[in-house]
Amino acid sequence: MDMTYIQGILMLAGINLIAVLGLCLLTGFTGLFSFGHAGFMAIGAYIGALMTVPPSTMPGSIGGLGLPFIFGILAGGAAAGIVSWFIGRITLNLKGDYFCIATLGFGEATRLILNNVQTFGGARGWPGVPQYSTVLTVFVVDVIAVLFLANLVKSRHGRNMIAVREEELAAQIAGVDVFRYKMIALIVSAVYAGVAGVLFGHYMTFIQPKMFSMTKSTELTIIVIFGGLGSISGSVLGALVLTALPELLRAFDIWRLVFYGAAVIVIMISRPKGLMGGMELSPAGIRKIRAERRARLALKEEAAREAASGGRS
Amino acid sequence: MNQLLQQLVNGLSIGSVYALMAVGYSLVYSIMNFSNFAHGGVIMLGAYFGFFGLTLLKLPFAAAFILASVGTAVLATLIERVAYKPLRDRKAPFLYFIISAMGASILLENVVIATIGPTFRTYPEIFAREPIALGSLAIGRLDLIMFFVSAFCLACLILFIDKTRIGKAIQASAYNMKACALMGVNTDLVVLIVFALGGFLAGIAGVFFGMKYTVYPQIGNITTKSFIAAVFGGLGSLPGAVIGSVLLGVIETLVAGYLSSQFRDLIAFVILIGVLIVRPTGIMGKTAEDKA
Amino acid sequence: MSVDILEIKGLTKRFGGLAAVNDVSFSVREGGISGLIGPNGAGKTTIFNLITGVYKVTSGEVAFAGKRIENLEPYKIADLGVTRTFQNIRLFKNLSVFDNVLTACHMSAKYTIPEAILRLPRFRREEKLLADKARGLLEIMGLADRMDVQANNLPYGLQRRLEIVRALALDPKLLLLDEPAAGMNPDETEQLMRLIMDIRDRFTLSVLVIEHHMDLVMGICEHIVVLNFGQKLAEGTPDEVSVDPKVMEAYLGSSGGTAC
Ligand SMILES: Nc1ncnc2c1ncn2[C@@H]1O[C@H](COP(=O)(O)OP(=O)(O)OP(=O)(O)O)[C@@H](O)[C@H]1O
Ligand SMILES: [Mg+2]
Repeated sequence: MDMTYIQGILMLAGINLIAVLGLCLLTGFTGLFSFGHAGFMAIGAYIGALMTVPPSTMPGSIGGLGLPFIFGILAGGAAAGIVSWFIGRITLNLKGDYFCIATLGFGEATRLILNNVQTFGGARGWPGVPQYSTVLTVFVVDVIAVLFLANLVKSRHGRNMIAVREEELAAQIAGVDVFRYKMIALIVSAVYAGVAGVLFGHYMTFIQPKMFSMTKSTELTIIVIFGGLGSISGSVLGALVLTALPELLRAFDIWRLVFYGAAVIVIMISRPKGLMGGMELSPAGIRKIRAERRARLALKEEAAREAASGGRS
Repeated sequence: MNQLLQQLVNGLSIGSVYALMAVGYSLVYSIMNFSNFAHGGVIMLGAYFGFFGLTLLKLPFAAAFILASVGTAVLATLIERVAYKPLRDRKAPFLYFIISAMGASILLENVVIATIGPTFRTYPEIFAREPIALGSLAIGRLDLIMFFVSAFCLACLILFIDKTRIGKAIQASAYNMKACALMGVNTDLVVLIVFALGGFLAGIAGVFFGMKYTVYPQIGNITTKSFIAAVFGGLGSLPGAVIGSVLLGVIETLVAGYLSSQFRDLIAFVILIGVLIVRPTGIMGKTAEDKA
Repeated sequence: MSVDILEIKGLTKRFGGLAAVNDVSFSVREGGISGLIGPNGAGKTTIFNLITGVYKVTSGEVAFAGKRIENLEPYKIADLGVTRTFQNIRLFKNLSVFDNVLTACHMSAKYTIPEAILRLPRFRREEKLLADKARGLLEIMGLADRMDVQANNLPYGLQRRLEIVRALALDPKLLLLDEPAAGMNPDETEQLMRLIMDIRDRFTLSVLVIEHHMDLVMGICEHIVVLNFGQKLAEGTPDEVSVDPKVMEAYLGSSGGTAC
């Protein structure tokens, strides 16, 4: 394996990670499940490309505005965020399964619409996206994404989202505007997915609607669950492992996706809490785990003492 | 006018096949409250079972048909045992079921790609291609048979659910699984029967689908549309699934006929979102306030 | 002389054909402890759900501190100062005891999302206040030594108590308790009675409590409303209610046996 190959896998993992972190907030912390986030990635990828691709010189090639990369990233993220606001308005009131079905509908509809928009190359795709994504840019965006998310989650706003996940009704009674916090989680996750889409397009240098299919959405959700719901470090690990794994299994060629499918089932039925199971690999996270363990032991001791004294009296 | 009638007929025929698939989603949803995305894979394998029954085993059509539907019924129950039963035992939230279903669907699709190959295969011609003339309408023989067989199967299913003891147990479990278990209903068996029924109909639908179009590993993705039909109708409601499917079939053919066939696939998703906005639980879905 | 903090007039809720609550009117006095009793299925919990906005009312009025609140969003009602506990405990199960309370304290802070993300001074200041408040409440309510326990590992009685602490974190003016003594033994019930009275005095709030334990209801309530089949059967002081023949018949059973 040469360096460029490993670098490629790392880039892909880093890009996936951004989208996964967004879903981590939506699914892991707020308890909403989406099977349509590839749609937001697509929006990001196409709007991003529109910003950065140089204006068309030859007939037949698809031109853009030729702006610097940062505008592509900002515009891609913003566009996905705006669309998610509309989607949220109409779908966030749906219950359980129906929200996740509506997102599936959104994702597929986005892909099919792009298939039919000839200005962006339709189903054939859009070649000639500048190769702006570098290991450095991806890494920087990753770090920012993790920091923002970690800070958001450890605030009253993040706690309100967790309350929605834990017990929606109780959250409402505790004064949490459930719709608003679901909306915030959805928008943040869409912006993250949009930015991931921009970076993805500028890494592949070619974008095509079928890159953003339901399979892609599912893959993102699977990573979040694999890492452990409600754990940012789990999402990071999950994105690394599950992006690298299929690549490393390339040797097995056609059988690798069979393994992947089987692995997904095995994970669901055997390790339901995911790699990290809601724990964080950070100083505060570890302190918390230890405090909880101590508390649990104390509780057990007390129960044992009570049972013993109850037996004597 | 004539053209409209023709489209309606075509739409009904494809809608009835959607219905065969949609009831499978709905049956499972009604008792387990999750969308069984592995169902598409089961339908796909039904198409392959039928295809190989006809070509490799040189079975007569009816035998191939039965092979396919029994095969998928077994497959569906097998998936239940492997991918869902452990989750049921643990009372896992619905998300785990959905992801496990996705895993099963990825697995099935890729097992087929790895063993049979990704190529498109065409069913041998069973029914003559030239349509039957009915006044000024031309009705494809396959369409006609599809419609009648599907309608017959659906009628049988509804009778089964309404009239037999097992059917009643299914209805009761759909209403309240826990209470049923307490009353001594073998809910585990009910679940298996539901998967077998859904799988059986999926096999029939798969064969028809393969005959009308072609057979290939990603057929499962197209069957997502029947899932959407089940959602229109209101997940968990059998009549809803049938109505939703017929509506979707007709609307799709009309859109393809009058607007553009490019929008054919898109329309399903657009209607999906539209329906969910107007009636958040589908046409026939329950809309009770959650009990607090 | 006394002011009513909650006034309910002609309140009705229908589920399909069933009138779970039918034309019920009563009030809760400010600073008082009132009881809502009635046989199973009488519609008590439904009334709580209507007051807190969990269900939309079919008809009738709910006024809190003079302001009409029926059909407001639950979180807005909570904002105004009405909160409750649930009959079937609804804690944030996977969170620690401390985090359950800390989450509910959120309304005492005002910092915005950007301030949180950038860790600006207001965030730090207010976050510290929230933590102090949560810790203080837990100390008052005797849960301080279990702060780090995950909520669903708590013994049952303490889970009920934690739900009350979480409700108090919102600084409510009216606290609705749905069967707080369910599943408790006489000792614990006794403790709970003292706790409820203590809370009322310490936090200066009004309490409306649903309870089947008659000792508790009769012991702490100044005013009792009796429901049966969604309708108000009687209302008055514990002494008045306990000798009302209609109540004896409907609630205590026609045999006239003692309350459970
Ligand atoms: N969401 C709902 N949908 C349909 N019916 C409901 C709903 N909520 C309550 N009911 C019905 O309303 C009636 C009153 O129920 P409620 O829960 O208010 O009784 P309760 O007085 O609290 O009884 P308990 O003492 O058993 O808690 C019952 O018949 C119940 O079945
Ligand atoms: Mg009740």
